[in-house]
Amino acid sequence: MFKQKRMLLVFLLPGMLGLLVFYVLPFFGGIYFSVTDGTRQNAFVGMANYLSVWQNQMFRLGLVNTLQLSLICAPLIFVSSFLLAGLLKGLGERSKGYRNVLLLPYLMPSAAMLILFLLLFDYGGPVNRALQALGMPRVLWKESDAMRVPVIALYVWKNLGFSVVIFSSALQAVPGALYEYAQLEGASRLRQEISITLPMISPTAFLVFVLAWINAFKIFKEVYFIGGSYPDMSCYTLQHFMNNMFQRLNYQYVTTAAYSFAVIVLALFGVLYAIEARRRVVM
Amino acid sequence: MRRRRGRRAAHLPARLFLTLLCAVMLLPVVFTAFYSFFPKSEMSAYLAQRNNYDETKLLPILLSPKIATVRQYYTILIEDPTYLKLFLNSALYAGLILVGQAVFVPMMAYALSRFRFRGREALFFLVLALMLMPFQVTMAPNVIALRTLGLIDTMWAVVLPMWFSPFYVFLLRQFMLAIPGEMFEAAMIDSAGAWRCYWAVLLPVCRPVLGAAVALSFADSWNMVEQPLAYLTQQMQMPLSVMFNSLSETSADVVFAGAALYSLPMLFIYLYFQEDILQGLQLSELK
Repeated sequence: MFKQKRMLLVFLLPGMLGLLVFYVLPFFGGIYFSVTDGTRQNAFVGMANYLSVWQNQMFRLGLVNTLQLSLICAPLIFVSSFLLAGLLKGLGERSKGYRNVLLLPYLMPSAAMLILFLLLFDYGGPVNRALQALGMPRVLWKESDAMRVPVIALYVWKNLGFSVVIFSSALQAVPGALYEYAQLEGASRLRQEISITLPMISPTAFLVFVLAWINAFKIFKEVYFIGGSYPDMSCYTLQHFMNNMFQRLNYQYVTTAAYSFAVIVLALFGVLYAIEARRRVVM
Repeated sequence: MRRRRGRRAAHLPARLFLTLLCAVMLLPVVFTAFYSFFPKSEMSAYLAQRNNYDETKLLPILLSPKIATVRQYYTILIEDPTYLKLFLNSALYAGLILVGQAVFVPMMAYALSRFRFRGREALFFLVLALMLMPFQVTMAPNVIALRTLGLIDTMWAVVLPMWFSPFYVFLLRQFMLAIPGEMFEAAMIDSAGAWRCYWAVLLPVCRPVLGAAVALSFADSWNMVEQPLAYLTQQMQMPLSVMFNSLSETSADVVFAGAALYSLPMLFIYLYFQEDILQGLQLSELK
């Protein structure tokens, strides 16, 4: 640990300034816009913007969709990557190749892969072909509320590997001696998983879940690729609402929507963090 | 011995399942590369059959080209410069972002992990809170701030905020915290200062996480859509990630060559930093 003041400033100051200018100050400065009316006088209107945004149908739709989509994607990624990491661990050294392949989509640009997903989910495409072969009717994947399926498929395809890699390294960090000792004491496989693996990796698990969740808020990208700026109602996200408000130069609504969302997200993470902290005390 | 053989046999279903899964994951990449060697006419005829809502028609599955050709590549690389221009935009953004991050992010992570000062925890908490903020939240105030600074509609609007990306500060700090203090003490006995320790001890030790950060950050900026859409208006300033979609509508016959070329830099980055990503992404406990 270093304590010299001067060196600390050299290392800390540039980054701090950047965070201040590009993240912190705008964040607080923007509040001004959300409580004024945007006319020439810029009169103070209190919570009026918040009230009208919260009553706006499109805002509510975007908010609900964003939360719903993220609450489908995050647990989906969380559970499947945990199971996959467990499978991979059982394979030992030979798991490396699989992990590498699973990670590849995370680095691939999804815009480039999009066209194949569009072909896959085309009305006459392979997915519908399979459905038809099974005797089921075809689905309008891109034009109806079934659009969530290709959106989620593209999202999971891309983001699964990242969580698998983090989980895998957490599993590997669990000391093997713990399992050997438990085996000597006659603990079953299941018992070992519950009493050793889960507590040992739960801090990482918490982090994976939080990261998967904030990442899932960015699902706008996948929706934008498949459905453009005005997708099916089932996939209209908060980001769509905000982009459209931006184009109308309605800064009041955009900032108000942003802070409303921030409050919700912070509250959600606050609850998650409290649960995690409590668990740590109990253990 | 017998037990081991038993375990290996037990692996078989797991391996089969994983192999299948990996094959599915790889399919889009493989098919993009494969389709990029189809003749242009065949490809555009094929893509024109999309969005046909006739119940009796199915999209054929294209598995063999009449003739394998690099004609698609020839078009996007030599005949029509639009694609190349956007590709270079993307490269410029990714390059500028990486250079700035290389300067600012490790320094800040170092200060937050190996220095002791008052307010350190509060500062880290700030970084954490900023990291958790979804882009939807930071975007709106940022546009206003960037407009005030006169940066909106310039490439710096996209580049500068990324230089201080909280996620990478967090990633590096977690790794640096886990480095044993003895390494620095040994260097300090040889009268190395904080700067020397940073340059000669810390950065080399951090090689895996630095590699991982470079790869992830490059992937991020190579793939970014939200920021350019919000901060830029002119089409020719956009990176390929934003424009690829509309490009593939106007010139569908070369879309697969475009996609393959677009993925190629990422593929190299991935192959080069693979090992680092697996080792460097160890997000130890939040402390």
